[in-house]
Amino acid sequence: MTRCLFSNKLENCVTLWRSAGYSVIGPVRKDATSSYAAVEHAADFDLGMVLPDRSIKELFFPQTEPMLHYTIKQQAINTEEFTPPAGKRIIFGVRPCDASGLSIDDPLFGWDYKDEYWFQRRNESVIVTIACTKADDFCLCTSLKLAPDSTNGSDILLRPLENNNGWQVEELTERGREAFSAIAELLQEASEPTAPLAVVPEMFNLDTCVAWLQNPENFESKFWKDISMRCIGCGSCTYLCPTCHCFDIQDEGDTYSGIRRKNWDSCSFALFTMHTSGHNPRSTQSARWRQRIMHKFNYFPGKFSVNSCSGCGRCTRQCPVDMGITETLQKISTLHP
Amino acid sequence: MSELFEPKIIAFVCTYCTYAGADLAGTSRLKYAPNVRIIRLPCTGRISPMFILKALQKGADGVLVSGCHPGDCHFTHGNYHARRRWMVFRSLLDFMGIQPERVIFSWISAAEGGKFADLINTVTEDIRKLGPFDQYKELIRETEAPATL
Amino acid sequence: MITQEKYRSKAKKLLAEGSVKMVIGYSPGSTPDRRRPVFIRSFDEADQLVLDSNCIANLSGYLVSEGLLSDEKHVAIFLRPDGIRSINILAAESQLNVDQIIIFGFDTNGNEVRALTGEHAGEFSEFIGSIKEHPPEKSRDPLLYQIEQMNPQERFAFWKDEFSRCIKCYACRQACPMCYCRRCIVDSNQPQWINTSSHTLGNFEWNVVRAFHLAGRCVGCGNCDRACPVNIPLRLINSRMAEEVLDSFDHFAGLNPAQEPVLASFKKDDSETFIL
Repeated sequence: MTRCLFSNKLENCVTLWRSAGYSVIGPVRKDATSSYAAVEHAADFDLGMVLPDRSIKELFFPQTEPMLHYTIKQQAINTEEFTPPAGKRIIFGVRPCDASGLSIDDPLFGWDYKDEYWFQRRNESVIVTIACTKADDFCLCTSLKLAPDSTNGSDILLRPLENNNGWQVEELTERGREAFSAIAELLQEASEPTAPLAVVPEMFNLDTCVAWLQNPENFESKFWKDISMRCIGCGSCTYLCPTCHCFDIQDEGDTYSGIRRKNWDSCSFALFTMHTSGHNPRSTQSARWRQRIMHKFNYFPGKFSVNSCSGCGRCTRQCPVDMGITETLQKISTLHP
Repeated sequence: MSELFEPKIIAFVCTYCTYAGADLAGTSRLKYAPNVRIIRLPCTGRISPMFILKALQKGADGVLVSGCHPGDCHFTHGNYHARRRWMVFRSLLDFMGIQPERVIFSWISAAEGGKFADLINTVTEDIRKLGPFDQYKELIRETEAPATL
Repeated sequence: MITQEKYRSKAKKLLAEGSVKMVIGYSPGSTPDRRRPVFIRSFDEADQLVLDSNCIANLSGYLVSEGLLSDEKHVAIFLRPDGIRSINILAAESQLNVDQIIIFGFDTNGNEVRALTGEHAGEFSEFIGSIKEHPPEKSRDPLLYQIEQMNPQERFAFWKDEFSRCIKCYACRQACPMCYCRRCIVDSNQPQWINTSSHTLGNFEWNVVRAFHLAGRCVGCGNCDRACPVNIPLRLINSRMAEEVLDSFDHFAGLNPAQEPVLASFKKDDSETFIL
């Protein structure tokens, strides 16, 4: 017997959570695209999709975030800071890859300077993950040593029942327990079997790839030029990636008033590393693609001991020219380290 | 009773014709609505659609673009190029939901001080009737709002 | 399959005799119905080329990659009719020399692929002219009618909602063969004309500017629409603009390599009914 949450109680859960002061967020399909968005009713969730088009990161690290407002009057400069929105929230139906993405970025945002915009949201969010029972051709969590039921970054893990009528509840953290105590009356002890997990074939051997990337001789390899020739330098892979975290601070305004904002930025853009002098250390698209791969599988793990990729596959899924991490690492794994 | 709405209108004009026309309106002591801020440019061919967007971004309720009559361009054909550009830009704005009444185009020569004064009055009244460009101002306000999620 | 074989052997022949340095075409992608751009530089690689109805991307943008054509050598490229029109515009705007381009022209109808007759851009002018006169039986997007039926407030709200999803990844720009500027207007900050942040105003401004810069230049290949990761219906704006230049100036973008760009030319009797 394990504790289960049945689908027909989900609406009551949403109501209870909302009355307990949580805002409820989950996968939603709207206007031909899908994302994690706030809902009022359980019926607004679309729990059938493999994963939303847009990753979970935008709930913690929005595409544009105001930081401070300034006004300049004669000699007086006034600044007023924006604080990240407060309030508890439950993010329901998160995919394990998205949840892992959050835990991957935690050390980055807390390494030297603690990014309050990220951590305030992190501390107030309960991540309720549902293990995957289906995958598509682009999923690659297993290649990253993760799994369709990874618990990284999650507060609760739900395992779908075989009859597709509910989930087994696994409480992982104190925050998760607290959120689920609000709906304790809706949980039932049951001994229904869980549905088989999605089968995600391993597409490459990660260790072989990492060994190749770590060899300094391969930095100038011809491989980078060949693999990235068709890259058009759009930022969609980085913007949809749950772990890509680069941002740019922009002042928007004029001499008298304006707003300082934190905006997403992408290493795919030619402007990303452009110096004021006009010199660009990453002057070609192949250097930019190399940076993305090196950062994810060499530099980031070197600093934080975790790969900066959780295997969601969005980069390949949405790429206009069918590139992505999978193809690159598959090819690297066949090269001699 | 609410106060009478005073629209803010930005006019991009060419220096050789419409600006001279505005000068003539002034020296002739013609009275016209004070709602228009004039920005003088060398030629209508120099008036980029960016200027119009910038005016809206800074909170204008309407934009007027004006220059020499066809055939009178100081640079021989700057206004012909501008005319094509506006034709396309106007239909783009219309398709985006920006009423054509908010972005107005005209030809005013250096001799047409009266036409200038009349046009400013008409345009001001027309835009006053439309009211403030709230939909666009809502976009501007949203840029100043704190994050919600 | 016949067309594929025909072009494969043509590619092999051209590469073997050294008359082209590269063939830009399609190869199998990561799923059975995906095709990815491929750059073939030798006889042996040519077997990677595939040609079927899944080959939809307009590849012409690769031709203006920095340095590709500067050695004055020839390059062959697979192009649908819209791709050939793109080449014509790029030539008209002095971005490339059409004499350097060998076109492997093809068109699809359902699952059928047929080769187009001709090898150089100029040889397709008549064919493109016939598309202008007799547009394919593809009906106008029903959404266009719906949008036109709306009042300005509703239209504004419609686009505001669509653009609110924009994440400013600029995939639309990068995927477009016409967006070849080394420095895009949104990337320049002195002056900064439009907001770079991805809030609704910045998104709205970006999409208006993009559409305007493509007016009279867009050939409707759909690269931007397919590239958009949040599925904003960019095709609607582009096709509305294409209709506008056709109606107002009888301009059909990319008719031939010598066609004058519509917004860089004029007629003394252009319509001006809207000018007071």
